Order: sequence, then C-alpha cells, then structure tokens
Amino acid sequence: MTSRTLSLKAPTPMPGWGLSFGIMLSMLSVVVLIPMGVLLWRGFVDFGAAGIWEVINRPRVWAALELSFRAALVASLFNLVFGVALAWVLVRYRFPGKRIVDAAVDLPFALPTAVAGIALTAIYAPRGVFGAFMLEHFGLRIAYTEIGIWIALIFVGLPFVVRTVQPVIEEIDRETEEVSATLGASRLRTITHVILPMLAPAALTGFALALARSVGEYGSVIFIAGNLPNVTEIAPLLIVIRLEEFDYDGAVAIAIAMLAISFALLLAINLIQIWSRRRMGAV
Amino acid sequence: MTDITPTRWRPATTEPALVKWSLTGLCLAVLTVLLFAPLIAVFDEALRRGWAFALASLGDPDAQSAIRLTLVVAAISVPLNAAFGIAAAWAITKFDWRGKAWVITLIDLPFSVSPVVAGLLFVLMFGANSALGGWLVANGFPVVFAVPGIVLATMFITFPFVARELIPVMLEQGRAEEEAALTLGASGWRTFLTVTLPNIRWALLYGVLLCNARAMGEFGAVAVVSGKIRGQTTTMPLMIEMFYNEYLSVAAFTMASVLALLALVTLTLKSALEWRYADQLAATHRHH
Amino acid sequence: MNIEIEEISKAFGTTAALHPVSLSIPSGTLVALLGPSGSGKTTLLRILGGLEFPSAGRVLFDGADATGLTVQERRAGFVFQSYALFRHMTVFDNIAYGLRARPRKTRPAGPEIARRVTRLLDLIKLPDIGARYPSQLSGGQRQRVALARALAIEPRMLLLDEPFGALDARVRKELRQGLRDIHDTTGLTTVFVTHDQEEAMELADLIVVMSMGRIEQVGRPDDIRARPKTPFVREFISA
Repeated sequence: MTSRTLSLKAPTPMPGWGLSFGIMLSMLSVVVLIPMGVLLWRGFVDFGAAGIWEVINRPRVWAALELSFRAALVASLFNLVFGVALAWVLVRYRFPGKRIVDAAVDLPFALPTAVAGIALTAIYAPRGVFGAFMLEHFGLRIAYTEIGIWIALIFVGLPFVVRTVQPVIEEIDRETEEVSATLGASRLRTITHVILPMLAPAALTGFALALARSVGEYGSVIFIAGNLPNVTEIAPLLIVIRLEEFDYDGAVAIAIAMLAISFALLLAINLIQIWSRRRMGAV
Repeated sequence: MTDITPTRWRPATTEPALVKWSLTGLCLAVLTVLLFAPLIAVFDEALRRGWAFALASLGDPDAQSAIRLTLVVAAISVPLNAAFGIAAAWAITKFDWRGKAWVITLIDLPFSVSPVVAGLLFVLMFGANSALGGWLVANGFPVVFAVPGIVLATMFITFPFVARELIPVMLEQGRAEEEAALTLGASGWRTFLTVTLPNIRWALLYGVLLCNARAMGEFGAVAVVSGKIRGQTTTMPLMIEMFYNEYLSVAAFTMASVLALLALVTLTLKSALEWRYADQLAATHRHH
Repeated sequence: MNIEIEEISKAFGTTAALHPVSLSIPSGTLVALLGPSGSGKTTLLRILGGLEFPSAGRVLFDGADATGLTVQERRAGFVFQSYALFRHMTVFDNIAYGLRARPRKTRPAGPEIARRVTRLLDLIKLPDIGARYPSQLSGGQRQRVALARALAIEPRMLLLDEPFGALDARVRKELRQGLRDIHDTTGLTTVFVTHDQEEAMELADLIVVMSMGRIEQVGRPDDIRARPKTPFVREFISA
C-alpha cells in the first residue's frame, strides 16, 4: 500500500499537498524565517544581550525608542476613538458622498508612505495651509515637532480600527438595542453599556494593528518630523543612520529592541482581547 | 380622539438628529484635514508651475529609470507573492495538519515588522560583509544595493497580502466542490483550474491589487537595501525623496502624483470589487 | 457491483470515528446507513467514495481490492449533503463536468456530451434548466442536478450523503420516489446516509443501523422493525 505514515497531516485524497506545502514553506523560509533568524543570531549570538543593552542604554537611542512608542500610542489611541465614531457614522447614518468617503478611508493603505509624508509636510509646514493657520492663531507648530509625527502616524493607522469595527456594527442585532430601550435605558446608556462593549474586541484588534504599523513607520514620518536627535528622531531613522555609518551592531541592537517591544505590546493586547472575549462569552 | 403628534417619538435604534449631524460633521472635518487635504496638496504642488513643467520633470532620465525599476520590481515580486498566497491558502484550507496556527502567525509576521528592519534583514544576510553576501558579490551576483535585494525587501513587506485575502474565502467555501470534482474524475490540476480558481478569482485580484499598490510604493525597506544609486537602484518613492531633498519640489510632487493616481485607481478598483463581488471576497471587506 | 467492507476502522487524531466494521452489500441493492450524528455513517460513506482513507481494513469492489484506488479511479457517483454544485457553472456545465474531465481517448465528443446531458436532464425531469446557474434553482432542483451530475460519469455505484437533509417535507417525499425510480432504472448499487428512520424504512432494501462508530444491526426494513437486536436499535427505530 502507499506510504501514508507522515503523521504531520491527516490522510486525504485532496491533491497538491506536497506542491503547495513545499512552495509555502520554502518561500516563507527564504523571505521571512531565515532573514529573521539571521537578525536574531547576529544580535544574540554574535553580539550578545549585554552588547544589545549597551547600545540601547544611551540617551539618544533611548529617546528615539521612547518617541517611537509614545507617538504610536498617542496616534493609535486617537484612531481607536475616531475609528469607532467613523465606523458608526459610515454604517448607521446617511449623508451625500458616503460611498466616496467610505472608499477614501482606505487611502492610507494605498497611498505610498513617501507621498503621504511630503504631502502632509506641505500642508502642515509653517508656510502650508494648515501649518500657517495653526501658527498664526494658536502659536502651534505642527511640522518638525512631535505633533507632526502624531499627524503622520494618525494618517498611517487611520483605516485599521474603522475596517475591523465596521463589519461588527453591521452585524449588531437591532433587537438588542431595542430591548435596552424597552428596559428604560437612555440612548446614551444603550450605547455605552450595550453597543460599545460589543465593539470592544474588534476595536482592540484594530488598535493593535494600527499600533504595530505605526511603531515601525518610517516613510511618512521622516519628512514631517524634523529628525532632531533626542527630540524628533524616531527609532527606525536611527537604524538607518547607524547603517549609513556601517555600525551594523548598533542597527541590529535597535532593531531587536523594537521587535521585542512590539511583540510585548501585541501579546498584551492579545491577552486583553482574550480576557474581554471570555467575559462576554462567545462574541 | 386626539391627534397623534409624534414630536417626541423616534425609533429606538437611532440618535437625536443633532447628535447625528454633529458626529457626521466632525468625522468629515477630520477626514478633510487628514486625508483629502494632503491628497489635493500632492496635485496642487505638482502643478504649481503648470502642466508643462510638471510633465517635463517626468522626462528626466533618472525619473524615467526610477519608473522602470519600480515596474520591474512589482512585476517580479507581485506574481511571486501571488503564487505564494495561492500555495499557502491551498495548504492551509484544504488539509488538516499540525502547526497550522503557527504558520499562519508566521505569514502575518511581516505586518508587525518595521520596513526599516525588513531592509536591515536583507542587508545582514546578503551584505558584502556577510559570508553569503561576499561570495555572491565575488561571483557577480550582488543582492544588496541591487535589484534582487529590492525585490526581496518588497516581497517581505507585501508577503501576507494575497494569502490573507484567500485563506478566509477558501475556508468559507469549504472543500465540497473540490471533492465533487475529484469524484467526477477530475485530476488535481483540473480541479484547481476549473473549480477552485474561478471561485477565488475576485479575491485573488483583490489581494494582488493591494499587494501591487504596496509593492510600488514601498519606501523604508527599499531605502535600506537599495543604496539609492541614482539611475540604478532608485525606485519611484526613493526618487521622490531625492527630488524633495534637492528642493526640486515640482519634480518630487509630480512623481508623487503618479503614485497618488495609482493609489486612486487601486481604491476605485477595490471598491468596485467590494461592490460587485462582495459575496466572493473575505467577509471583512463586505460593507456595502 | 457488490461492495465488501472488511474490518474498516478510522481514527481522527485520537478519537475513533469507526471501530472495525465489516459489511457486505450485494450488487444492485439500495442501502441506507442509518444513525444519529456522530455514528460514523458519513465517514463510512466517504471511505467508500475514496474521500477519506481508512486507518485500517480493506474495501473490495466486485471482489477486487479497491482500498488503494484514488477518488478518480473509483468512479463513485457521489452526491454531497450541500450538493457542492459548481456555483460558477451552468447546470449543463455542471453535469458535463465529469465527461469533459476524462482523458482525451475516452472523452465523448461535444455533441455526444450534449446528448447525454440532455438525457440526464430528462431523467431528473428538469429538461429546461440547462442554462441556469445553481443559485437560480430551488433546493429540490439542486439536489436532482447533483444526482444527474453524479450519474453522468456512468458510475459504478451511487453514494449519497443525507440527500434529502436540506429539503422541506413535501419535496422530500417527492424526491424519495425519484431516487427509488432512478435506482430501479439504472440498477446501480446505491448507498445513502440518513438520520431519518422513516426515510430509511420507506426507501431502502437493506438498512445498516450505526451508533458510535459501530454497526448495530443489518437487515431488511421489516426485519429491523420486527426484531431489533439491541436496545439502541429498538429505541432509535421507535423514536
């Protein structure tokens, strides 16, 4: 009889296992796994944890890492709140041009980051349309300050929460809202106590995706940031600078620190999600 | 009998009109400031000195070579990622095997890695100071600061796009149609080409569309591996940066306009797919 | 064609879906695999069709070992519970699929395929729906198209997984008779899976009652009704 002892996979007459699994695994290895392995090897075996720490534990690196995560957090929190509101408006309300607005939400996915970067800089620079307005009326500089970084990261992360929450709002059973009203709850109470908790897991997923994306964002930020060491210099830019100085160990150390913090954040958010799902039953 | 004047009544599942209008207005205002204004600014800045001037900047030999390189890189990396996406979706949805969840996580990994780190990966692996890179350079096949490195970095960044689109669609469609084709005597390839592929074609196109948009616009990863050699390893996004840093504003924004147009075409096609073939796309894209 | 099942067992991971079962089905019989969900009846049917591989045991078709045959080689007309019609093809193309998939040497010419499809559409009493798509058909029509598609390959046997499961009561009654008629005209050995004891009683020549991966009793309908062998069968039949 034919050999079917390979215990990895349940036997089936479905064809193409070897071919599809082979292509998948070899491409995954060449493009993702081996390169990631080389980075970790370079960092932990060649350079060592102590070496990594020595690189990170310098004011300029520390400031860059802190800035990247702080700005990503601010931008993603904004996108969390705004994304839920926008998703609600797009699903529940009717207004002219809604189709176009809905499609435009994905613009940050489609627009190259370098284009977004120079475009945002053009309007938020002191001589740009909004930049001049803010400077004149509020004395606020946006481009070339941390606020500029926030703006760029809000742009980049904008679609994530909207797109994860939108389908959930569409699936809300109207009867759930109606029963809340028949029990005497005000509309506001229904929203805060019934609807928002239903949206929470999806919103958190979107938040996590936006955060992961904006922590490492480079293209849209460097044009608007000003890139002043210790002030507006983000961590990815510092990696580029280290590489240009041929300081590979320095670049590797910062990269590993970024990966470690990103995964810690994603893990934390996953745990919150599991917790909130469990509390609400199977949602 | 009294007249019923429904002044206070409204459906239980809506908000007061005032809330509706202010929330809608607020959202549109934020979108204008963050999305629409920058988009308009791109074209406005490009045309600051007129059409002729803008178009002339695209005739620059460096600009031309950047456009060519971007097309070449997309033409290689997008089909490869499409092939990967189809193979991965087939292996994941048509078979039961151990470790599947891990592999799905690994496929998604590039989404949470900074583009700059992605570029760094390939510099470390294939750079002249690594064993492999040194050997490749000695044999006349440089990867870093050359096209292969740009392709690899682009593939890394866009790696999950097609697979992520196909997996939910194929899971939802199940295996019964393929099984039916097999019981009717169709070979594996015939089953794939005549049953599976027609069922996933719009989802595949959707994934390829997004993959392509990202591939042509990738900046950070490509900036790190390409070495930014003018006329040789400079893609369109890198060219934008160069023009911009040289204060060639019109040239920078004209090239940006080309990519912005590509983004608008992508969005239009994407929306058309969502509108027309909603039932054949992953459920998360059905919101019309 | 007669079917011989010898000590077939099937495990998914650590759970046993089928304990070793043996069964012999004489040529031309209409057999019902009857049991509650999780009794292993669908697994057994899929093993016959070549869609699952048994963990141990043998399947014999007309005395020849068929265990190692691929799905394609078995030529079993399989009707799926969901019907699994190809949604992007017309009814005509669905029915013609198996004929067109044949290697060039044995593939009928275009007009011959058309003639056979037309004949099958007549057989299922839906002569005018060839140009329609599956989504434009009623549940009962889909079931009959699935049956015609399975018959088109000139199968050696007919295997049906809950063929009436998704239909309402009136259509179900009608289609039962349809299946009986088709079985009688073609003379094919036919095995169908059902959880409905009334359906099995009315339709089958031979009933195989299954529970928890084991065969509880094999017999003619009146036999099983009159002399249930185990408490399970007694309870399931009277339910």
